[in-house]
Amino acid sequence: MIQRRSREGSTEPLALEVEGLTVTYGKEPALWNADVRLGRGSLAAVVGPNGAGKSTLLKAALGVVPRVSGRVRVLGEDPARRRRLVAYVPQRTSVDWDFPTTVLDVVMMGTYGRLGWFRRPGREERAMALGALEQMELADLADRQISELSGGQQQRVFLARALVQDAEVYFMDEPFAGVDAVTEQSVASLMGHLAQRGKTILSVHHDLATVPRYFEHAVLLNRVVQAVGTVKEVFHRGNLDRLYGGRVPADVPELAST
Amino acid sequence: MSAPWVELDPTLVVVAAGTTAVGTVSGALGCFAYLRRQGLVGDVVSHSALLGVVGAFVLAHALTGSASRSLAVLVPGALIAGTASLALARSVSNRTRLNDDASLGVMLSIFFGGGLFLLRWVQRQSPPIPGHTGLEDYIFGMAAAMTRADLWMVFSLGGGALLLLLLLWKELKVFTFDPDFSRSLGLPSYRLDLLMMALLVAGVVIGIQTVGVILMIALLVTPAAAARQWTSRLSTMVLLAASFGAAAGAGGALLSASEAGLPTGPVVVLLATAIFALSLLLAPRRGLIARARARRTLGSTPPPAAGGAA
Repeated sequence: MIQRRSREGSTEPLALEVEGLTVTYGKEPALWNADVRLGRGSLAAVVGPNGAGKSTLLKAALGVVPRVSGRVRVLGEDPARRRRLVAYVPQRTSVDWDFPTTVLDVVMMGTYGRLGWFRRPGREERAMALGALEQMELADLADRQISELSGGQQQRVFLARALVQDAEVYFMDEPFAGVDAVTEQSVASLMGHLAQRGKTILSVHHDLATVPRYFEHAVLLNRVVQAVGTVKEVFHRGNLDRLYGGRVPADVPELAST
Repeated sequence: MSAPWVELDPTLVVVAAGTTAVGTVSGALGCFAYLRRQGLVGDVVSHSALLGVVGAFVLAHALTGSASRSLAVLVPGALIAGTASLALARSVSNRTRLNDDASLGVMLSIFFGGGLFLLRWVQRQSPPIPGHTGLEDYIFGMAAAMTRADLWMVFSLGGGALLLLLLLWKELKVFTFDPDFSRSLGLPSYRLDLLMMALLVAGVVIGIQTVGVILMIALLVTPAAAARQWTSRLSTMVLLAASFGAAAGAGGALLSASEAGLPTGPVVVLLATAIFALSLLLAPRRGLIARARARRTLGSTPPPAAGGAA
């Protein structure tokens, strides 16, 4: 359990509290009785084999997929009442990048939640989007058609959209997948920066070798949650062997000592 | 001065206004069907509408004793049949191992086959039901049969659909581009999905009198596909597709009026197809000619870095 005591000593609401969460697709359970508790400011990776329910954990916590049973609390409330405080970065490959729209337009979608029904984004929203693009070093691509972006640029556009949401809790689905070195650095530094400001990040992550470098906490998941804790506590050879059924990818140098 | 257009026959004015409106609405709505890859859905709705049209005709005759081919009677029938076939297709694919496309295909066969069957039954009644002779026009369309009341129906249903599209523009855009993200914002995806379907059904239903149930899909998808060639912005794409649809509709009505024996619906669709073919060929960047040129220059000079700062 990752919990951070507030300065007053009283316990402030956890950023994310998942209890007994079960999600099924058809009859197959995708996630079984999952418990995850993350304090504010956590920088956590969700790791596990393919089909382990990593994306499902994020989507269920966001209320994007329905849960069969269990309870989710975001900052002490039902996620439906915390939408303005939550940002979501879906898998980059989950959308059609040939959709007729521009970089700036996609980033402005991050303001739609705050705008509410019917209202159109205006000058203020535009300025926010441009600021986020600046931060992701994409300012000169604002008017670019999104089909012209590289994989790394696409990822940074999605992150800029999440930044515009100005959330407290960020759910990210494989933000490091298939990106160039420059983007990898900028994603990592963005995450660190957000966590320093007390924002909470739960991110699906595939590359085991970089977990200790980029994350402070880890959720080991294979349909059931096998361990949650700091990377030091739970991210070791024994747990990973169990998680991957003894087939841990060999390129995990940081694990050699434990 | 007696310019020829002043002497336009008032029937032609009604017909041309109708086909133009139909082209505009289906061009605009078709963009979303195109981007959501739901062309097949539109096709199923329009084919299924035949059963609704003939069924509504029969029902109106049975209930009131007098038969009516006015859109005010037939459109509700088409709406019900189109929606029912979609709902059935969805429940079949949810409950069986048939995938979405297969169950849509099954519903198309059942409803269109049923429509043809019922049509034949109506035609064989004796004494004949008055007014039944125009019913088969719904298969290939008969724009010339459009009355002022029909035109009002097209305007109100089509205008309502366009108004909804405009009001919910940003919601429909984000839902179409990134459904998971839109759900995370709290947008009701199930209802937006239904709304999109309803708009599509409305667009199809007002068009079937003009172009018929078989060709209606062309009027939905072709202007959208043509517009996509020219622009990379959704708003421009929708405006362009609406204009292409309008041009095809107006052109089709005028051409078929000037030359006896030319059927309006097919001419409208052929014009839309011609616009699409030209777009596919000539559009900058996406057009075949532009791409062939780009490939040739790419061969001689090193390619530019993919999109600035990588």
